[in-house]
Amino acid sequence: SVCILVDSRCISSGVELMSILRQRHAATVHICSLDGSYFIVSNRMAVERHSQSDVAAMQNRKRLVERVTGLQVLFDRVCLIVEKDRTKTGETSRPFQRTRYYDNMVAALVSAGVRLLWSDGAEDTAVLLMDLARLEHRKGQGITVPLEVKGQHRQQVLQMYLSIPSVNYAHALNLSHNFHSIAQLIDSPVEAIQKGGNMSRSRAEEIYRFLRYSCDSFLVNTPKTGNNT
Amino acid sequence: MKSAVLNSALPHGHIICAERWRNSALIQDLKGGGVNILFENELGLADFHLPSKTSILYVSEGNIVAGTEYRRKLVRYRNASSLQDVVLVERTRLSEQYFPAVQRFVVLDLGLALVPVSGQTEASQLIIQMVHGQTRENPFRPRSSCRLLDPLVLALVQQVPGVGRVKAVTLLQNFSSIQQLCSAAPAELELIVGRASALQIHSFFHK
Repeated sequence: SVCILVDSRCISSGVELMSILRQRHAATVHICSLDGSYFIVSNRMAVERHSQSDVAAMQNRKRLVERVTGLQVLFDRVCLIVEKDRTKTGETSRPFQRTRYYDNMVAALVSAGVRLLWSDGAEDTAVLLMDLARLEHRKGQGITVPLEVKGQHRQQVLQMYLSIPSVNYAHALNLSHNFHSIAQLIDSPVEAIQKGGNMSRSRAEEIYRFLRYSCDSFLVNTPKTGNNT
Repeated sequence: MKSAVLNSALPHGHIICAERWRNSALIQDLKGGGVNILFENELGLADFHLPSKTSILYVSEGNIVAGTEYRRKLVRYRNASSLQDVVLVERTRLSEQYFPAVQRFVVLDLGLALVPVSGQTEASQLIIQMVHGQTRENPFRPRSSCRLLDPLVLALVQQVPGVGRVKAVTLLQNFSSIQQLCSAAPAELELIVGRASALQIHSFFHK
């Protein structure tokens, strides 16, 4: 079945969406602690969900930029589902007025390669998430390792993988299941990291370099307690 | 064959429009928005070319309602172009019911960018922003990160159970990379953090 990882912060704002995904689409919705309120539909794709008025509000600009650019570091593909605003029962729906600012944001997102999808509400969004997850699965990008990481040690290892720059939750799950120890990952060549993490070559190279990165500049400024220098 | 005008760099504030748009309301709005317009007979399938290698295809309400011909056009458009392609789709009361299928086809099947517009007025407003936005810095464009890695390495070492900031700094002063720390023998670690901690660190990396 299709599996979608959801940040725990999405639960309160997306009760309806979660239950549609689970009940109507029989999706495996796995709640985990991501570093933002987004969805992961494959090893390389994250999906943000925003209301149209959210995108249109100038005061949200900083937050939206931070969230999208943050995801671009972790994922090769970033989607943004723009959802029509909900009208409360009894209210007549007002047509959305596009502003210059809104068009500017849309143009900037398109130009930066963020995939925009347009939704009428939670039901539409659920269908879009399912479509994206299925498409990614067909392209061989689906998350195929178990979503659970059992035991305290494995949990701690997962957390360590998550603190490697540009490793997303799906990569960390793959690494946790495909390497039997951290030492094995550290001693692996780029090709093995790429395969075991189900990630792009450049991302695997980045990890390889990070694990070998020698930190001197930073430690110069910290009081020394060791005696090797 | 594409004409020479497409191969030369388009100055900012200019767009190239397919000849068939010459007398449209959209063109009037673009002119009003300070966009300079060049007309071109041989634009291929695209309706508009923008600076910095963006092209736009406009799918009207009529195209959508009329049947599936627009789909063949979209496929040809995608296959012919090496530019960043944006499809503007007229989402109106008439075409509304087709919109989910159009979106699935354009975005998921063809991998093109889609922006719905209510008509030519909204389209022109968006195009004006696309043209003018190109001279501004795009906040969403990924920048080549020149992050300082030292604090990130330090943070990772602190993920080892029993290792706080002070111990992590001490460890990195002796083993400057994660790889070196991982390959350190318990006896080497013991000299720095004591026996119990040394065993715990070693086993965490190797278990």
